[in-house]
Amino acid sequence: MRTFTRRQALAGAAAGALGAAGVYELVDRLAGGSPQRAAAGALPPEQHVLDGLRVITDNGVEVIVPPLHHQVVTGKVAVEARGLRDAQRALEDELAKLDAKYAPTPSGLGITVAWGLPYFERFVAAQWRAHAPFDRRAERPALLPTRAFPSDPSDTVLERNDVAILFRSDSLAHIAAGAKAIDALGVFDVTSIRKGFVGGGLPQKLARAANIPGADLIPDGAELFLGFTSTQSQGLGPRKIANLETLGYADLGPASYFREGTHMHVSHIAEDLEAWYLNFDFQLRVDTAFRPHLHVPDGTQTVRQAPEDAASPRSVERDYRTVRTIGHSASIQTSSRLQTDHVAEDGTLYLKGTAVPQRADFNTLDNPFFWPADPASQPQAGVHFVVFNPTSDDFHRNRLAMDGVLPDGTKLPFQPRQRGQGFNDVLRTTHRQNFLVPPRRHRSFPLAELTA
Amino acid sequence: MTRLGTGIALALTAAVLAGCGGGAAATPTAGAPRCSAKVRAGWQQLANRIHAPVYCPGWLPDPLTGVIGSRDNNINAVSKDRSYLESWVWQETGAGAAGGELHVNLRGYPGRTTVPRCRNADNGQAIPCFADARGTKRFGSIVATLYTVNQDADQWHVAYGWRYRGSFYTLSEHVAPPLDYAKVVRYLDREVRSLELIEPQ
Repeated sequence: MRTFTRRQALAGAAAGALGAAGVYELVDRLAGGSPQRAAAGALPPEQHVLDGLRVITDNGVEVIVPPLHHQVVTGKVAVEARGLRDAQRALEDELAKLDAKYAPTPSGLGITVAWGLPYFERFVAAQWRAHAPFDRRAERPALLPTRAFPSDPSDTVLERNDVAILFRSDSLAHIAAGAKAIDALGVFDVTSIRKGFVGGGLPQKLARAANIPGADLIPDGAELFLGFTSTQSQGLGPRKIANLETLGYADLGPASYFREGTHMHVSHIAEDLEAWYLNFDFQLRVDTAFRPHLHVPDGTQTVRQAPEDAASPRSVERDYRTVRTIGHSASIQTSSRLQTDHVAEDGTLYLKGTAVPQRADFNTLDNPFFWPADPASQPQAGVHFVVFNPTSDDFHRNRLAMDGVLPDGTKLPFQPRQRGQGFNDVLRTTHRQNFLVPPRRHRSFPLAELTA
Repeated sequence: MTRLGTGIALALTAAVLAGCGGGAAATPTAGAPRCSAKVRAGWQQLANRIHAPVYCPGWLPDPLTGVIGSRDNNINAVSKDRSYLESWVWQETGAGAAGGELHVNLRGYPGRTTVPRCRNADNGQAIPCFADARGTKRFGSIVATLYTVNQDADQWHVAYGWRYRGSFYTLSEHVAPPLDYAKVVRYLDREVRSLELIEPQ
């Protein structure tokens, strides 16, 4: 009789979960087909750029339609240091095959391979010291150890994965094929599989199907569980703005090894829908999601987020002093929007008020992960928050602003998850980690080719 | 944020004689439990005390009794403007199915048909005590509006509000384990169907 070690049994279970759809199979049935998508051009040098995204207009506002399905697979490197270069070749060959088979668009498959600090420090420490990008503005490395934030619960897990692979597509089958092909190489031990969806109307339908408390309170057609649209094109960073080099934040070192790379933060956030919809009336939801005193017609889901609408630290502080409330968008805009015009090294002009982060977050019913799953846990509304910023510090500034710690040093004296912080009151972050996304040319075991 | 209803203060607002709310006297809808003699006695006394009709519950979730003055009747309050709050609560500590809370409030605002105003605990601003209306339902003679964001003793409750003869009435229930929003709405539907109008004598 053949016997399995615990590690083999876990690997087998993870492999099965990579191809399983679970409750997310409903997305395809409820979405009524994939949206029409534009064709893609040549492969971009950036891994995090996804082409072929459709833009629609809702309530007079341009909104980007993200892929229907998302999946993040985290893992630990499963080969010894001496096998790293072989692993690099194997992974790159497989990724190249997937690139050839699927365009990097929603109708194909977008794959982003990101690497955590544990990988760089454990496997390529000397090369990392030589080539790690350095954040000039923060005077710290561009990839920082993962940290907790004032509104995080005390039990938020700061993860130490070696790698995170983000898959994005309108097709579950494409994601399953890509994830299984990479897993079959045996170069990673999977530590988690995180799945989810994005699409107008899906949150309410999926939440109802999964018997999520408060599902009936989600507005019809909402893009997110909390009822508002978050993919306004003017609220997302332009194509290259999140690159390490674009805004000049990062010193790329002697060989600019990571040029056209970026930083990725991944977290899982549980959302208490009943707390949100039973304690915040519509105006208060607008006040705390966007900014106090913003008046939009009752039931509005898509609110304009233009550069000229961007808040300043002074306006956020004024809101706090007058109504003890800050808007989620307004507070983050104090650090996520350009405070002055900026000319990038390629000559592109980015105007004051332009958004910097490129978000790739998605709704989920994982609790907290699709795999490993606690058999006793029930599906839960939440978000797998995935965002690309030029550096860790840039993400940290945005996240601190959300907690009332503004980039000019102003600290609004909120208690953790106080009601006046709006979203924070109903969110509970369970896991976090920072990653570096190399450019496409170095996406497979970065720096391994430089080892002896 | 706590899931326990923290406020117990009535929204004390000067009585405003508003236009007639209209509507016929309520009797429990066919097949619904009726207000028992034991329960009715206290409600009759309340109607007599405020000189206005009140609604006696024929059914509340077990173990709530609906009896004014009973052990589970944690609030029995009438304000100067004759508005009243009657509240029944049951709490059991313990994890999972071993614990939970049931909490039902019945209110009446004689002489006013507008939604009363409450104070926002965070900034002191006046806000509606019952807000975020999500449609109406007819239960016999009662045409009730469902409110999902409510204040004071009705915070974190789902409430039905309706008008009768120039007055505003509400029935609310707390959304807390073992109940979620959908179950609370089902309970409220059954509770409103069982209401019986008691006229002052």
